[in-house]
Amino acid sequence: MELILNFDSADKASLPQVGGKNASLGEMIKAGIRVPPGFAVTTASYQSFIAETGIENAIFALLSDLDVDDVDALNRVSAGIQELMNTAAMPERVHQGILDGYAELCRMCGTEKVPVAVRSSATAEDLPTASFAGQQDTYLWVLGAEQVVDSAKRCWASLFTPRAISYRVKNDFPHEKVLISVGVQKMVHAKAAGVMFTLNPTNGDPSKVVIEGSWGLGETVVSGSVTPDKFVVDKVIMEVSEKTVSRKHIECVYNAEKGGVVDADVVPDRQTSCCLDDREVMDLVQLAKRIEEHYGRPMDIEWAIDEDIPFPENVFIVQARPETVWSRKRKESVIGKKSGYQLLMEQAMKRIKIS
Amino acid sequence: MADEKGRFPDPHEYQVPPELEGWEEMYPSHYLFSDDRKEWEGSQFWYLDKIHAPEPMPPLDQIFQEAWQISLSQYTTRVFCIPPAQGIAQRMVGCYMYICAIAPPPEQIIGEKAALFEKRVFYVFEHYEELWGKWLTKFKALGNEMAAVEVPKELPKFAPEDQVLPAPRGFYASYDLMTAFDKLANLMIKGWQYHFEMLNLTYLAYLMFGDVTRKLFPGISESAIGKMVAGAYVSMFKPEEELCRLARAARTSYTVSEVLKKEAPAQDKISELEKTSEGKNWLQEFEKSKDPWFYVSCGSGWFHHEGSWLTNLNIPFSYIKDYVERLERGETIERALDEIDKQRDEIVAEYRNLIKTDDDRKAFDDAYKTIRTIYRYAEDHLFWVEHWLHTIWFSKIRQLGNVLVDNGMIDQPDDIFMFTRYEVPELLTEVATAWALGVDIPVRGSYYKAKAKKRRKILEAAAKWNPTPALGVPPEEVAEPFTIMLWGVTTDRVKEWLEGMGEVKAEDVSQVKGFASSAGVAEGPARVLRMLKDIIDLKPGEVLVCPSTNPSWAPVFTKIKAAVTDIGGLTSHAAIVCREYGVPSVTGAGIATSVIKTGDIVRVDGDTGVVTIVKRA
Repeated sequence: MELILNFDSADKASLPQVGGKNASLGEMIKAGIRVPPGFAVTTASYQSFIAETGIENAIFALLSDLDVDDVDALNRVSAGIQELMNTAAMPERVHQGILDGYAELCRMCGTEKVPVAVRSSATAEDLPTASFAGQQDTYLWVLGAEQVVDSAKRCWASLFTPRAISYRVKNDFPHEKVLISVGVQKMVHAKAAGVMFTLNPTNGDPSKVVIEGSWGLGETVVSGSVTPDKFVVDKVIMEVSEKTVSRKHIECVYNAEKGGVVDADVVPDRQTSCCLDDREVMDLVQLAKRIEEHYGRPMDIEWAIDEDIPFPENVFIVQARPETVWSRKRKESVIGKKSGYQLLMEQAMKRIKIS
Repeated sequence: MADEKGRFPDPHEYQVPPELEGWEEMYPSHYLFSDDRKEWEGSQFWYLDKIHAPEPMPPLDQIFQEAWQISLSQYTTRVFCIPPAQGIAQRMVGCYMYICAIAPPPEQIIGEKAALFEKRVFYVFEHYEELWGKWLTKFKALGNEMAAVEVPKELPKFAPEDQVLPAPRGFYASYDLMTAFDKLANLMIKGWQYHFEMLNLTYLAYLMFGDVTRKLFPGISESAIGKMVAGAYVSMFKPEEELCRLARAARTSYTVSEVLKKEAPAQDKISELEKTSEGKNWLQEFEKSKDPWFYVSCGSGWFHHEGSWLTNLNIPFSYIKDYVERLERGETIERALDEIDKQRDEIVAEYRNLIKTDDDRKAFDDAYKTIRTIYRYAEDHLFWVEHWLHTIWFSKIRQLGNVLVDNGMIDQPDDIFMFTRYEVPELLTEVATAWALGVDIPVRGSYYKAKAKKRRKILEAAAKWNPTPALGVPPEEVAEPFTIMLWGVTTDRVKEWLEGMGEVKAEDVSQVKGFASSAGVAEGPARVLRMLKDIIDLKPGEVLVCPSTNPSWAPVFTKIKAAVTDIGGLTSHAAIVCREYGVPSVTGAGIATSVIKTGDIVRVDGDTGVVTIVKRA
């Protein structure tokens, strides 16, 4: 089995090797959606790592009999596993595989060191019925091959944070069954970014796309550290039914001195200006519709607008996963079995309360 | 405005400005709040009817209001029997009209009505096409009857020979003059009885469909619902189609198009066209289109002073000029009606696809079929009643006005509109009497002239007054479909009124709200047009601000940046045409024409329904 797999070679079928997030990126590329290029470090790499270094048995031995409600024990076991993973050396062919993958990405982007986002992509995460979202790590603006290798390893280790361990136990997911892949994706030099839903998460209205966005990278929106600008757009007639521009006091941007992303202050004038223009909003809605249609279900999507590229080539989708809250509800009819005349009679009998 | 208990002024205590002194006699006495009905009137909720009476009411134009009060109400209460709904009552206060949706009847009546409703209403839906055909036939007959009412041009010195010999006719010009008006008035009342034949049911079906879609798509906008329901092939758009047809006909002859392209009054163009055979042929085509399609009011059709294409041929001729020029530039002038219908079907299919369960899809299909069956009525009746019939009426009444002028009763023909429909017979009878009495018989012309003059002054004063949006006690519930659909009386609306919108001075208002009826945002200098005849002032790139539009305004929409109207919902003419041309619009903004002044820089947000005055002129 491949140790790394380019996003454009991944799809639904490769989920066991590349995890939900990466498989989803592959699917979108197939559907013609603009996704920043990258590759997956497959679960085979991870398996090879824990098996060939011999830490596998030690890890599962530590986990057996663990009482996750015993916080001290949980933390101790987690720390122990992290230690095991950090000190174990990565098998050479896995190491080389990641180096090759990164080199190819750099070549493709025409640069020596392309900044990338390194994200974990677990095989159980993002499944519609098991929202593991945010349980694993993300490293932004990683520069250089060895840094990518190092971040990938840290993503693997994130499978064993106290929270992740406890979550699996409580949801009856066997630890052995959860494998992890890592996605390495070119960073979007985001002018603005955020999330969108292909239904209105507040009332489940399936005719709306709701976009939330802020300046810089989308992390501020995802983490809730800013109140984002919000747009509610009708999917069918493409009308903006709600537009709220909020005060966005900080933005997540790359800082060369610190060698990573930081939350920087936004100058006052820009705080209250809208982070998206009308055509960007419309383009995002079109993308959301295509993604929903491709997956055949409501989706939760992360997007970013690149500031170095002209519209519309600058609109990127960086992530898409099935929406879980409303998709689980709403199986039953809202109106019921009623004829037009019954509905008319009901209307005729209606009185509208007005005070 | 309202007191702390959330009440509006008591209608019996509400004071009108002193300049309006004498307004009461301009309307039928049963239109006044009166002590003998005090208890009932005081417990109802009366709100200003800005849709039918956005401006002070000329006495004779009041006939339409009288007619609809009875007709609309009787269909709800006695004919199709919408169970908990009663009629809409009207009152006049200082030349403005207030209306009230009467509270539901006792439970027993509701039950009786429900049984009748089921039987009668479902029948109408099942036989709509057939019923519409019958409606149109009888309505056209009615209009033709009105057009055929003979108004004596002048009272003859002596009865003509053929009325006396060989056998006396038995009745003469005096009778013709007196009865002409009675016939016209009765036919108008009858036309309005027809007007509501299927309209209450149309609105009910529209509300039902809106409710169903809102349940399926909680945040769906009114404009989306409007788009699903509205049709392209409706009588109201026919006048514009006829203009296009005539423009194309003109293009087949160089001389005809050259004449039509001139900057000249319509009458000059007609005289010139009459000189050539090609011109004559074209004029024949024009005559073919004219009745009924150019019987179009330049306004809503509710006021005599709006005029019509018929009374102002410069309007259709200026549109034809524009169309001929556009054809020469190789542009398409016709609206792509098939395309509009196709787009509507696509929109409906797309919403339908979003529905999750089979039962809901079925209910949606059924609800949609119900509204589509009848909705055309909302669009078609408007042309035939408010435009065609009213235009015939106004021209007939003006003929009577001319007779009154000729006989020294009033100064100008339109002064006849300063008298109620109960007073006009008095004027005509006096003329008939004087004629009968012989030669050199004085009439009280100065009395009537002074009256007309005074009433015009009162109307002018009333136009400057901003009356309270409502009177009396807000009700707990509303069941009457027109109240909800046309006037949008909801909790929010009442609250808005209670907050005292009416008391704010026009110059202090920087924002008005209405329906977001055509998407997009545009900014530009405002052009406030109260009358279509002022349209020559409009410059390309301006934002049109007007009371309402209708097909007689259609060619304007290619020139403007955005449109704002005081009156009209999401399926109003302005809304439909703006969406078609991709021009942002806000309709039903209520006070736009009184708040916005020509030259103000305004921003029209057709996505949110907000019009902002960015900079005052």
